[in-house]
Amino acid sequence: MTTDPGFWLLQTLNALQLSMLLFLLSIGLTVIFGLMHFVNLAHGALYAAGAYVAASVSAVAGFWAGLVLAPLAVAVIGVLLYGGLIRRMRRSGPMAQVLVTFGLIFVALDLTRLIWGDIALASAMPPLLEGRLSVLGIDYPLYRLFVIGLGLVVFAALAFVLGRTQIGAMIRAGVDNDAMAACLGINVERLFFIVFCLGCALAGLAGAVAAPLLSVSPDMGLQILIPTLIVIVIGGLGSLQGAIAGSLVYGFVQTFGAVLAPGLASVLIYGLLAAILVIRPTGLFPAKG
Amino acid sequence: MFRHTFLRYAVLALLAAAALLRALTAGYFGLEILAEILILAILVLALDMVAGFGGMVSLCHGALMGLGAYAYGVLCVHAGLAPLPALAGAIALTGAVAWAIGAICARAHGIFFIMATLAFGQMAYSWVFETPLLGGDDGLGGIPRPDLSLLGIDLSDSRSFVLFCLAATALAYGAAVLVLRSGLGRSLGGVMHNEQRMRALGLTVWRVKADVFGLSGMLAGLAGALAAMQVMYISPGLLAWTTSGEALVVVILGGLGTLVGPLVGAAAFVTLKHGLSGVTSHWHLVVGLILIAVVMSRANGLFGWLEARWGARLDRRLADATREDTPREATNDA
Repeated sequence: MTTDPGFWLLQTLNALQLSMLLFLLSIGLTVIFGLMHFVNLAHGALYAAGAYVAASVSAVAGFWAGLVLAPLAVAVIGVLLYGGLIRRMRRSGPMAQVLVTFGLIFVALDLTRLIWGDIALASAMPPLLEGRLSVLGIDYPLYRLFVIGLGLVVFAALAFVLGRTQIGAMIRAGVDNDAMAACLGINVERLFFIVFCLGCALAGLAGAVAAPLLSVSPDMGLQILIPTLIVIVIGGLGSLQGAIAGSLVYGFVQTFGAVLAPGLASVLIYGLLAAILVIRPTGLFPAKG
Repeated sequence: MFRHTFLRYAVLALLAAAALLRALTAGYFGLEILAEILILAILVLALDMVAGFGGMVSLCHGALMGLGAYAYGVLCVHAGLAPLPALAGAIALTGAVAWAIGAICARAHGIFFIMATLAFGQMAYSWVFETPLLGGDDGLGGIPRPDLSLLGIDLSDSRSFVLFCLAATALAYGAAVLVLRSGLGRSLGGVMHNEQRMRALGLTVWRVKADVFGLSGMLAGLAGALAAMQVMYISPGLLAWTTSGEALVVVILGGLGTLVGPLVGAAAFVTLKHGLSGVTSHWHLVVGLILIAVVMSRANGLFGWLEARWGARLDRRLADATREDTPREATNDA
């Protein structure tokens, strides 16, 4: 089996698809952390909210409407969170932030159960992407290729915005030294608000994309939280390269570990994380030297 | 470093009296809840030792507790050891693992320390989950309770078992106080406040952190072994990171760095959980809202709030009453 090139291609595509899903989630979290040193454990809950909105909307108005509306809805939740909680927690330590957002996880978990019930929802794939595509001799579901493509598009767009535009330069300046950026006349607080909402929208997008792949259940946010945190800690906080590198490391180790060494797979990724934390305590590509 | 104030003694005496009264009068269900409170109390004491007095916010204490439970179970069921030696072995093993984790993570700070401990905790969780010897997903059953018939105590009776847990909790509290008052505990306080200065003074910082983490792990192992004895069955769910998260929530709700506060928190948390789950299935919602409110109020939990409000005044009045020559300020720096 392992000598068959089709096997390797198939697993590579699987790994890429997992990586891209994690990338959509981790990029928002990592930039929020890098810019404002804010630890938002409730990011997974936003992802779950996105999945639920997408599943509900797509049942009425089709998949594409859900894909557009879910990020918007989650961004609105982000605005409310920012105004109600986050802005007041900005000056308190990481410990308080971890705890408040941990409390938010509890609240979000029960709110989704109250609104949508305990039973997992299924979300239909769009008819356009239901088929399979033959890639170099193997059949691969079109929808998963779409996920990979979407992740790459988002990565390219973010790389362009962060690297080539003025607002990107402002964000990078803010991550590097927020006090200095503020002295140069950049409204760091407003910048954070924008980045926070964008990060929420991306989490919602990830949820909407994941909804047809996984079943939509109340604890899906809790399940994805740990992988996302692993990604940003492996990659290094605050950087786009870190988020993509961490996502790829996680996706490939997890996927190939599961097929090549099933007994070790889940221990492997945590061992890798521990090793990286010991050797490079700030991750592979930290935003600050 | 840890000091007892009048308020701390008072709350401690109140808690002990209440626990003793419940242990002697409660019915079967009340006794089970009390045992749950006492086991959680030992775990949060262990967590407060490292988080409140060393600034090491650990998300692997749930896993350490689970490890203690599994070590006890395996030593009893597979190795055929008698329960009491198995208990000692479980505590020693958990302590050793915790020491190693503490030594490896000693360089990391803040969010990285939290993540590193989380990684080790999840590693233990996945390992247990996938090891057939430990029963994997099915868990491990048939775990015995210690045989204390020599002392005329039958631990299969739930009232005796609760009293046994109460004694263990008292011992754990005493041990935590002793450690925090020793030279090691004082060094740890120094490390928390200014690590560089302690290093400049010639202290091996990582050793201090690892030693306290190991001692704290021994307490977590004790809690785990008691939990295994209580339900006579262990499932891997005990090691999941949400157990550690809940323990951290209890420490915060009670009052970080006060030792007495987490005990209050444990009693309040378990009582609230069972009280609310009778009324609504959405008790997480209530606990979450309370947690957010407590953290945003900037008080140091329930006990911390009480201490800030009454502690200083009580101590001053007591000092006046006993006519001490030097009026001393009440200390809340512990």
